[in-house]
Amino acid sequence: MAEKKRTEVADIDRSLYDFTYGEEGFERLDAGLTPDIVREISAKKDEPDWMLEFRLKSLDIYKRMHTPTWGPDISGLDMDNIVTYVKPNTDQKSDWESLPDDVKNTFERLGIPEAERSYLAGVGAQYDSELVYHNMQDTASKMGIVYSGIEEALHEPKWEAMIREKFMTLIPPTDHKFAALHGAVWSGGSFVYVPKGTKLDFPLQSYFRLNAKGAGQFEHTLIIVEDDADLHFIEGCSAPKYNVANLHAGAVELFVGKHAHLRYSTIENWSKNMYNLNTKRARVDEGGEVEWISGSFGSHVGYLYPMSILAGRKARCSFTGITFAGAGQNLDTGCKVVLGAPETSASVETKGISKSGGVQTFRSSIVATPAATGSRASVSCQSLMLDDQSRSDTIPSMDIRAKNVDVGHEATIGRIGDDKIFYLMSRGISEEEARTMIVNGFANPVSKELPLEYAVEMNNLIKLEMEGAIG
Amino acid sequence: MGETKKLTNVNAMPAPTWSWLKMNAAEVEVPAGLAPARDAVSVEPAPGSENVVTGNVEAFDTEMVAASKRYAARSRAAAPGDAAERAKLAAGELDTMDVPALSAYQRGAVRAEEELSAAEAFLTGCGREAYAYLRGLSGKPSVIDVPGGVRAAVTVRVDGRPGAAAAASLDVVVRANATLDLTLALDGAADPDAVAGVVGFAARVFAARGARVNVASVQTADDAFLVIDDMGVFADEGARVEVSHTVLGAGRSYTGLAADLRGDASRIDVDTSYLGAREQLHDFNYQIRHLGKRTVSNMDANGVLTGTSSKILRGTIDLMHGAKGAEGAERETVLLANDGVENKTVPVILCDEDDVAGNHGATIGHVRPEQLFYLGSRGLSEAQAEALFVSAKLEDAALSAPDERIRASVVRLGEAIVPDFEEELA
Repeated sequence: MAEKKRTEVADIDRSLYDFTYGEEGFERLDAGLTPDIVREISAKKDEPDWMLEFRLKSLDIYKRMHTPTWGPDISGLDMDNIVTYVKPNTDQKSDWESLPDDVKNTFERLGIPEAERSYLAGVGAQYDSELVYHNMQDTASKMGIVYSGIEEALHEPKWEAMIREKFMTLIPPTDHKFAALHGAVWSGGSFVYVPKGTKLDFPLQSYFRLNAKGAGQFEHTLIIVEDDADLHFIEGCSAPKYNVANLHAGAVELFVGKHAHLRYSTIENWSKNMYNLNTKRARVDEGGEVEWISGSFGSHVGYLYPMSILAGRKARCSFTGITFAGAGQNLDTGCKVVLGAPETSASVETKGISKSGGVQTFRSSIVATPAATGSRASVSCQSLMLDDQSRSDTIPSMDIRAKNVDVGHEATIGRIGDDKIFYLMSRGISEEEARTMIVNGFANPVSKELPLEYAVEMNNLIKLEMEGAIG
Repeated sequence: MGETKKLTNVNAMPAPTWSWLKMNAAEVEVPAGLAPARDAVSVEPAPGSENVVTGNVEAFDTEMVAASKRYAARSRAAAPGDAAERAKLAAGELDTMDVPALSAYQRGAVRAEEELSAAEAFLTGCGREAYAYLRGLSGKPSVIDVPGGVRAAVTVRVDGRPGAAAAASLDVVVRANATLDLTLALDGAADPDAVAGVVGFAARVFAARGARVNVASVQTADDAFLVIDDMGVFADEGARVEVSHTVLGAGRSYTGLAADLRGDASRIDVDTSYLGAREQLHDFNYQIRHLGKRTVSNMDANGVLTGTSSKILRGTIDLMHGAKGAEGAERETVLLANDGVENKTVPVILCDEDDVAGNHGATIGHVRPEQLFYLGSRGLSEAQAEALFVSAKLEDAALSAPDERIRASVVRLGEAIVPDFEEELA
């Protein structure tokens, strides 16, 4: 039998993200993790005593917890070499022109101001450890919506009480080692409060840029969407590539009220020296809904599993995700769902692509508690192998403890089928076009859920250049 | 429970997930100090098959060593974490950031494929500790050696005794183009005081080129018993193995099966049927490794859980590098017939090869509304409908029981769950 030719798929074009500026005038703490460094971060932020106490407790928990052994290897991440705090040479501004040129140029090149002008109701931009830009349209402010840096909100007595009540309650420092790390050294991030019954027609967006070599970014995003309110929040992130490890251990906590709706969209495009150990979690009350849209393209190592805790009757969640692992990457992604109340429902649809020696794993858990009577969940995951040098694993789990629960799970792994190519070619489509159509169709359920600009970005990220026959 | 001995890493899945789910493996506490009951084991060849039960305890290992030599030359193409990549890393030609940071099990899978012979890589489903425990109980294994081209049938019975530990261990060699029908009856009737007992079975199966091996295991022990049913299979080119596990009894049961589909076009079909009642725990682990080209695996599990029973099923299809054209599929349907049941399912596909197809599906739930409506229109309440599914599972096991003794054991169990089960069956 003649040897089949291999499918050739180009690597993601990263030139858009792979540029750096110097750190002149930046403040950079020593590498490593000590109580003194934690105190120094806290002092810089002039934060309440309870937060310093929380940080120190988290540090203690971090030191006691074990590194996970079930996922990608993170022995290349040496916390003694990671700088946990780098402050750029500017304070937070509300107009782009007031920012230093290098910071402003960074976000210009990433298209953030343009996106703000085009379709966003508000933007926050973080550069290394601090928010450098935050702005929201007046119309949104007049609706009573609060969108600010979380540290800024912490200095407002009204919001401090709310933050104290919610902060790291969904993701307690005891959850895992890197949640504890986050609790100790978190810096930057956003606070969003959408009052009862308020519906924002345009999305808010936070963009996180990690410029500093050998640094970590630990932003905390806290969003509270009150009863009957509606919000779409977009999160983007990128970094230039270095030859040393960088770390992202952010945390996202979402509180979705009764009959409220929150869509949380993320395009993660960290550089390939990044250890992305991010944690995201939502609690949804009665009749509420959280929708996760997630694209994971970057990072050397990724651990990312947004979790939905459906705590109220008829609460709903959906997770739509795509992961693309290329050369040098091991991306372990998926989601967790807790059906914790009657008549809750969850829908999970994921796509994974691996190529050029990349490794991607879909990992999930669906847990139905005894309270989840009348609940249902469906999980569908598909993985596409684009060559025989790569790897794709699927590790879903289901723990069902209620009688009247329906859980369905389907998963497939394989390559592009010769029969599909043959069929399309029999309709007069060239093989190149056929292959492109199939891969685009594979990714389409995710891209169609993204805002247009992000869908375009995703399509740019997956530049599929096919040549030769399917093999 | 009195003094116990702990077996760890039982029914471990090769690629673990979050430890908080408590699904990765089981710890099994077995009563310590139970008297071994070797007379509780019988190996019964069918008429005409007497000569396949031999004393050649070297047979299995000899075949595995020969197979290891045959498959030793297998080369491994470029893949994440392989020797070539590691050499480049060591020489500084690659940076650690340029290669994927493999997880422990991913690294282990590469190393096992590169460094372990077929014999060294051979596994049973319950794991080394459980296998060693069972072999310790059973003493010297019984050997079934079916000559080339011959068809044979053997029944192995383990009749558990209260206060005793009874286990059979078996080495099976089914030579080229031969067929073996192996029936396994794991039983144990409790005494009135429900004194604990252990029932075990451990088997290593070598299916040579073109061989057929059909294994039907029926487990009907009372709740006082702990049952461990452990098997490992090696399938050579074109071999076909069918395994059915019917698990109806035991307070705690652990069923494990690992299969190494190393020969091209070898195949395994696994059919699992279980009923969980009262406070029973059923723990299953299936691990199918596809190494040969065009290998096929099908796993189909179907069960009913009632009372406050719990069950975990781990099913792993491992499509290893070089298994071009391999196909693996697993499907599970679970009916949850009572509040208070616990069902855990982990259907895993590991894929280190592109020219393969892996599929899995699971449907977990209650009697569907349309089924309830139909049954309601026939005058059955929800509770009666649930009972119907339970008795249907038992009836199916009784009607398809391989022999009268096994059927009688199913009826004994059925009587404890469904009133007048025997009459109903008649």
